[in-house]
Amino acid sequence: MYKLRNKGIALILMVVFLFVAAGCGKGGQMSRNGEEDVIKLGFLGAKTGSVANYGIPAEKGMKLAIEELNAKGGILGKKVEGIYEDNKGDSAEIASIATKYITRDKVVAMVGDPCTGLTKVAADIAQKNGVVLFSPGATGPGVVEIGDYVFRNTLLDVFAVPAVVDWMMNEKGWKNFAVITSLNNGYSTALTPVFKDAINKKGGKIVLEDSINDGETDFTAQVTKLKKSGADVLVFTGYYTEAALIMNEVKKQNFDICLVGGDGLYGQDLAKLGKDAVEEKVIFYCGFSSDQPSPETEAFLKKYREKYKEEPDMFSAQYYDAVMILAKAMEDAKSTDPKVFKNELAKLKDYPGVSGRTTFLPSREPVKSPVCLITIKDGKFKLLDKIEVNV
Amino acid sequence: MDAWFMQHIDAYYLRIMVLIGINIILALGLNLVTGVTGQLSMGHAGFMSIGAYTAAILTLHYGVSFIGALIAGALMAAFFGFLIGIPTLRLEGDYLAIVTIGFAEIIRVFFLNFEPGGKAVGLYGMQQFTTFSLVMVIVIVVTLLNVKLLNSRYGRALYAIRENEIAAEACGINTTRMKVAAFTVGAFLAGLSGGLYSHYMGYIAPQDFGFMRSIEILNMVVLGGMGSIPGTIIGAAILTVLPEMLRIVADYRLLFYGALLVILMIFRPNGIMGDIRVYDLRKRWQTKEVETCSKS
Repeated sequence: MYKLRNKGIALILMVVFLFVAAGCGKGGQMSRNGEEDVIKLGFLGAKTGSVANYGIPAEKGMKLAIEELNAKGGILGKKVEGIYEDNKGDSAEIASIATKYITRDKVVAMVGDPCTGLTKVAADIAQKNGVVLFSPGATGPGVVEIGDYVFRNTLLDVFAVPAVVDWMMNEKGWKNFAVITSLNNGYSTALTPVFKDAINKKGGKIVLEDSINDGETDFTAQVTKLKKSGADVLVFTGYYTEAALIMNEVKKQNFDICLVGGDGLYGQDLAKLGKDAVEEKVIFYCGFSSDQPSPETEAFLKKYREKYKEEPDMFSAQYYDAVMILAKAMEDAKSTDPKVFKNELAKLKDYPGVSGRTTFLPSREPVKSPVCLITIKDGKFKLLDKIEVNV
Repeated sequence: MDAWFMQHIDAYYLRIMVLIGINIILALGLNLVTGVTGQLSMGHAGFMSIGAYTAAILTLHYGVSFIGALIAGALMAAFFGFLIGIPTLRLEGDYLAIVTIGFAEIIRVFFLNFEPGGKAVGLYGMQQFTTFSLVMVIVIVVTLLNVKLLNSRYGRALYAIRENEIAAEACGINTTRMKVAAFTVGAFLAGLSGGLYSHYMGYIAPQDFGFMRSIEILNMVVLGGMGSIPGTIIGAAILTVLPEMLRIVADYRLLFYGALLVILMIFRPNGIMGDIRVYDLRKRWQTKEVETCSKS
C-alpha cells in the first residue's frame, strides 16, 4: 500500500508539473501579446550541442545590439524584444522554433542561424509566412534563393576565396597547391570546389588532392603524401581541430608548409591544440578581426568587453550587425511590417557595420569588405593582412 | 481537410502533432522488434534514413509521385532490414545491439559520401507533401494493423520468442524466420516514417539520423512500456512534446528532460504501460461497475 501511494503521488506530481509548465508557457504568451508596441526579434542558434560554439557568442552579440537600440529609444519609438530559444543544432528543433516564433511570438524577423543547412530549414518557413530571416553566418549556396524574405550578412566564400587565392599567388608567390577536404563535414565539402575553381582560374596548379574525416586523429598518411607532393602551400577546408592535428603531424615530419583555410578554422582551440606547430603557419580568412579596428568596430569592442569581460568573435559581431541592419531598414521604411521593410533591407549599400562594410547585390547576396587574413602569433589570433573585395 | 486544421489549430501545435505522428510510426516499428520480439535493436534511425533518402531522391530527381516515393522508401528500408536481419538475428542481446549500431553507422557514413544525397550538406528542397491528415490516417492504419498482428498467431509467436526462445522453438516456432519478419516490418515502418519526415522538414542531412536518434526512438519504446502499443504511442507523444514544453525553463531544458526520464523510470521501471494491459483495465472497470451496482 505504501509503495502504491508513493507511486501515485509521484504520478500526480508529474502531471501537475507538466500542466504548470504548459500553463506558464501560455500565460507568458498572453501577457506578451497584450503589448502591441513591442518589436520582437527571434534568435536562431544553438546554445547546447556540437555547434554551441557559434551560438553562444552570437546570442551575446544580439543581446548587446538590442540593449543598445532600447537605450536609444527603440525602433520607431517601439521597444525591441529578443527571444532566445536553443535549437541544439538540430533541424527538427529549428523548424519547431521558427514556427513558434512566427505563430505564437509574432516576431517580425528572425536572426540566424550560423549554419547553412539549418538556415535553409528556417528560411523556408519564414518565406512561406512572410517573415524576414536574416542569417549572419550561412555561407553555403542556395540560401537567399529561397525567396525575397531571406537575407544574410556574412563573408561569402565565392567572393572571399578568389581574393585569398590571388593574395597567395601574388603576395606569397605560392603556385603549387595541395587541397585536403574533410569528407564528413558539409562546410568543407562545399568550400573545396570553390577553392579549386579559384586556383584553376588564376592559373595555379593543384598537385595533390586528399581527404580526411572529422574526428580522425592520425593524419600520418596524408602528411607523408603532402611532403612528397612538392606543394608550396596546403589548402585545408575543414575545421580548426583537424587543422591543428595536421600541423602537429607536419611538425613531426619536420618540413615547412603553411596551411590556408576558411573561417572554419576560427576557433580558440586551434592555438591550444596546435601550440607552436601552428604559430604563423596557419592562415585563414574571415570577415572580422579585432585588430586594427575601424571606428565602429572599436566602439563595439569596447562595449562588448565591458559587458561580457571577454573578446567578441565573428559571430557576435555579425549578429550585432544583423540586428542593427534590421533596425535601420525598419526606420528607413517607417514600418515594422516585414512586407514593407524587406524592400528597404534589399537596398542596403555600403553599410558600415562592426564586421566590415556590407552591400547587398540585386540578388540579395551580401558583399562584405575587407577580407581579413588571420594567423596565430604567441597563441593569439593576429591580423596578417586585409584584402579589399570588389564585385 | 488540412485547410480546416490550418485555420483552427495553431501552426506550432499542428507541427508538434505531425512530429508526434511520425514518431509514433517510427516507435511502433521498433516496438515490434525490441518490445514484442525482445531483440534489442539500436540502429533504427538507420532504416529511417534509408526511407527518408530514398523517398526524397525519388521525388526530387525522378519526379515520382509522393505516395509512390513513400512506399518505395519503406520497401527499400524493409529490404535492407531483411538483408541485415538474416545474418544478424542469429545473435542475441548485447551482440545484436552492437551489430545494429554498426549497421546504422555504416548507413550514416554511406550517406555522408553519397553524391545524389548531397553528401554531408544533405538534401534540400523537398516539397511539403506530408500533411497532418495524411500522417493521422497512416498512424491509425499502422496502429490497427499492429493490434491485428499482435493478436494473431504470428503476434503470439513473437511474444513467445521474447519470453523464452528455446521454449518457443520447442513449440514449433521457426524463431529465426519470425525474428527476420519482425525486423523487416519494423524497418518498413521506419522507412515509412523517414519518407514522411523528409517531406515534412524539406531538409535532411546524415547527422539527423545519428546514434542519438536511434536512442531517442528506443527511449520512446522503453518509456512507454516494452511491447505495449498504447504505451509506445504515449511514449512517442511524451518524448516529442516534453522538449517543447520544457522550453520555459530555457537553458536548463535538457537537464529537466533527463531528470524526468530518470524519475519516470524509477517509478515505472516497466515503462508507463509496461505492466498494464488494456484488457485488464477494461475488466477492472467492469467489475467496479458491478460492485457499485450491487451496493446500491
